[in-house]
Amino acid sequence: MSTIEINDVAKTFGDVTAVAPLDLKVGDGEFLTLLGPSGCGKTTLMRMIAGITLPDRGSIKIAGRDVAALPPERRNVGLVFQSYALFPHMTVGANVGFGLKMRRVSKAETTERVRAALALVDLEPLAARFPRELSGGQQQRVALARAIVIEPDVLLLDEPLSNLDAKLREHLREDLRVLQQRLRVTAIYVTHDQAEAMALADRIIVMRAGKVVEEGAPVALYRAPRTRFAAEFLGQTNVIEITTSGTLPWGDAVRAPAGAVVSIRPEDVILRPDEQGAGRVLGLSFQGATVEYRVDLGGTEVRARDTGTGAPILPEGTTVAVRLNAEPHRLSDAPVRRLVSVP
Amino acid sequence: MTIAAETAPDPRREPFQPSDGRWITLGLGAALLIALGLPLVVALLWSFMDPATGWFAPDILPPSYAMDHWQWAAGNDSIVKALGLSLFIGVCVTVLTGILALPTAYALAKLPFRMKRAVELFVLAPLIVPGIIVAIGIGTIFFRLDLVFTIPGVILVQTVGTLPFMVRVLAATIEAIPNDLINAARTLGAGPLMVARHLLIPLAWPGFIAGGLLTFVASFEEFEKTFIIGSPFVQTLPVILWTYLGGRVMIFPTAAVVTFILLAPMLVIFFLAERVLRDDVMASGMGKL
Amino acid sequence: MIRRLPHGLVATLLVLPAGGYLALFFGLPLVLALLGSFGIYTRGDDGGFTLRHYADLFGTQAYRDGLMFSSYLAIVPTVVSLAISLPLAVALGQTFPGRRLFNALYKVPLVVPGIVAAFIVMTLFDRGGMAARVLAPFGLDLPKLVRDDWAIGVVIATAWKAVPFMTLIIGGSLGSIPKDVLSAARTLGAGPWAVFLRIKLPLALPGITAAFLLTFIGGMGSFAVPNLLGPVYPLPLSVHMYVNAFERNNWGLVAAMGTVLSLISVAVLLLYYRATRSLRSAYGGEHR
Repeated sequence: MSTIEINDVAKTFGDVTAVAPLDLKVGDGEFLTLLGPSGCGKTTLMRMIAGITLPDRGSIKIAGRDVAALPPERRNVGLVFQSYALFPHMTVGANVGFGLKMRRVSKAETTERVRAALALVDLEPLAARFPRELSGGQQQRVALARAIVIEPDVLLLDEPLSNLDAKLREHLREDLRVLQQRLRVTAIYVTHDQAEAMALADRIIVMRAGKVVEEGAPVALYRAPRTRFAAEFLGQTNVIEITTSGTLPWGDAVRAPAGAVVSIRPEDVILRPDEQGAGRVLGLSFQGATVEYRVDLGGTEVRARDTGTGAPILPEGTTVAVRLNAEPHRLSDAPVRRLVSVP
Repeated sequence: MTIAAETAPDPRREPFQPSDGRWITLGLGAALLIALGLPLVVALLWSFMDPATGWFAPDILPPSYAMDHWQWAAGNDSIVKALGLSLFIGVCVTVLTGILALPTAYALAKLPFRMKRAVELFVLAPLIVPGIIVAIGIGTIFFRLDLVFTIPGVILVQTVGTLPFMVRVLAATIEAIPNDLINAARTLGAGPLMVARHLLIPLAWPGFIAGGLLTFVASFEEFEKTFIIGSPFVQTLPVILWTYLGGRVMIFPTAAVVTFILLAPMLVIFFLAERVLRDDVMASGMGKL
Repeated sequence: MIRRLPHGLVATLLVLPAGGYLALFFGLPLVLALLGSFGIYTRGDDGGFTLRHYADLFGTQAYRDGLMFSSYLAIVPTVVSLAISLPLAVALGQTFPGRRLFNALYKVPLVVPGIVAAFIVMTLFDRGGMAARVLAPFGLDLPKLVRDDWAIGVVIATAWKAVPFMTLIIGGSLGSIPKDVLSAARTLGAGPWAVFLRIKLPLALPGITAAFLLTFIGGMGSFAVPNLLGPVYPLPLSVHMYVNAFERNNWGLVAAMGTVLSLISVAVLLLYYRATRSLRSAYGGEHR
């Protein structure tokens, strides 16, 4: 059972709080994503799990073992770096086999396991090459193979795809997920890309300034975020403050008292050209699959999104009627608190 | 259960048991004391030796102290002259080396051209050939040009030895300036001279300082070339020190005084440099051949 | 409109200052020395091509021994310095209290002239020197360290200057290894020793060999320190060069000696390139 238990772990660097005290549990085989902007502490947290950074307090258990006293080389974690961190003076094969060599695995077994790992990432023919000769995507796959061949208790991935171009990123993303599920290895994935997080994770932990803001499964987190930060960080949303109880600024009804804050996703705002409409198109942006609109509704600027080739392009100035496709979701004002999260 | 916290705030350094750090400090501190502190203290003691009593074995400390040697040195014409000469030559060599090195360093760093590797090696060559051979070789040419025993001759011969480092350090620094910056400046209308003035020189400043300090120090403490070309008419401090040490009778106290006169400006420059310089700039210039 | 000069011309013009200077004041003397060693264009030589200077050099016992001694002075201090610098450079990469101060202080010998280093060794290690005086009360006797047959005093003085130099360069090489690569090695199971042997050492090799090379060549041509601290016999070839040049005016012989010393240095350099070629092509010679 390769679960991870983090208890009351915190880290400060000088007078900067990188990670505020937090608890976290990761289930066996779970794909957990740490999501947040730069400097939110997600990388620091990961490095503490790996043992590269020592926490100021708290305990970390991997697969039931307390790893506090263990240096990184004894924790059995597989770490995939944003910079790939391949050993430039070794061939691909030697890179992947390094962890096995450190574990004193026999030569014959190493050769076989390296071959199998490279086959998993589709790089078998490149075993004799040097990292310098490979493309970014290939290097990343080597880094991945190197981390999984040792059969780690947990796979830690630190923004592994951010150095790659968009198309390659999507491609590798899918491969990664498939691989993780096939190997059933517990994975913790760090990223600032919310689309990536939602596509990959079983569960997302949203972090900000060292603290956990919210956590949940992607669908729940996206469709029913509790906090404003999470609502705005994942995808796009309209955050509307309710001044008059029960009414949206443009008159439509809403189940929320005055002072509440609600979130309406742009894709839930349906526009229809209508002379008597309450809204007016301020601007639009054609993005291929979607058209994004900025609409003035009763003095409030609202974003709307329409999808599909059949979607009409409504030019600036068009008067539109607005219909909401989903109930505006109420965001809580609750301050950030320590979460004890259980999968 | 408590976990030992890292002692240093730098997250990028590899953590290891913090207790080990103390052993390293102890060991290195002791080594430094013995290798550096002790010799300097002993030399200092020699300089204060009282000529009336001398300082012989088995005394660990001089029996009495006197300022005699320091006073003598302060009044001694040739020592004072040598100090001034060393400083003057140092400055000249640094300026000359800098001027000669900059264009070449730029070409090596930024321009692709066919003979680049050959030029790189050639510029490094003076380091490969032992200095004394360079000096004697140049000596024969200078003899014909009447440059032996002259100050310009010494400046010229020292520059041969300082150019390789200056070129390397400057080239490494210039190479680190992203090409895009230069391209951006050019699209904004800057010609080569403007680019040099507003981009290259300000951004390559650490390289200049590193190279300049290295060069000045190298010139100030240089002995072999100066000795071969300049002696006995051009006497820098190292040359004077040599006469006190290599002669029939070794005069320790006088040598000690001259040593400190030599060291003082060096240490001043050194500590200035430590605040300004970055190790990686200096090391990068010399770490690749 | 800016007139653009042909590319090659620009490059040539830029290289001219330093390149031309070195060609004149370095290349030319070397060529003349080479020619002179064969008896051409030398003062005091009126024949044509001749090998007698080399015959002289290799035929005389004192000069042969001098060549051996120069080689000894090139190898031994360098190896000793490397043995000290390598662990020192690694230690400096760690965190410990006082690191910054030490980092500044260890470089002091870099600004100290070789002659002063010789002087220091004299005051400390010669007969009746400070080391002898401190050990005397304990009844310990120091072996002869100055003007001794093994030139230990010379080795000490040379190493004293060479250690900071090598440590600086090797430290720079070690420091340029990306931290992620080291972390990766550790998470894959490499303990500190394995990380050093398999990752740090190979990747720092360019710096290590460069430091070794520069120190080796310095030792080959060292003149002042052996003269002050070394044995009376054999004298290093550099001293013989000096004597033959300024006291005996035997310039042809001097040229021959200089050429031989230079050739040995060049040979070592070529060996260095050969040996590191596979390393440099494997990872492009530089790592970021």
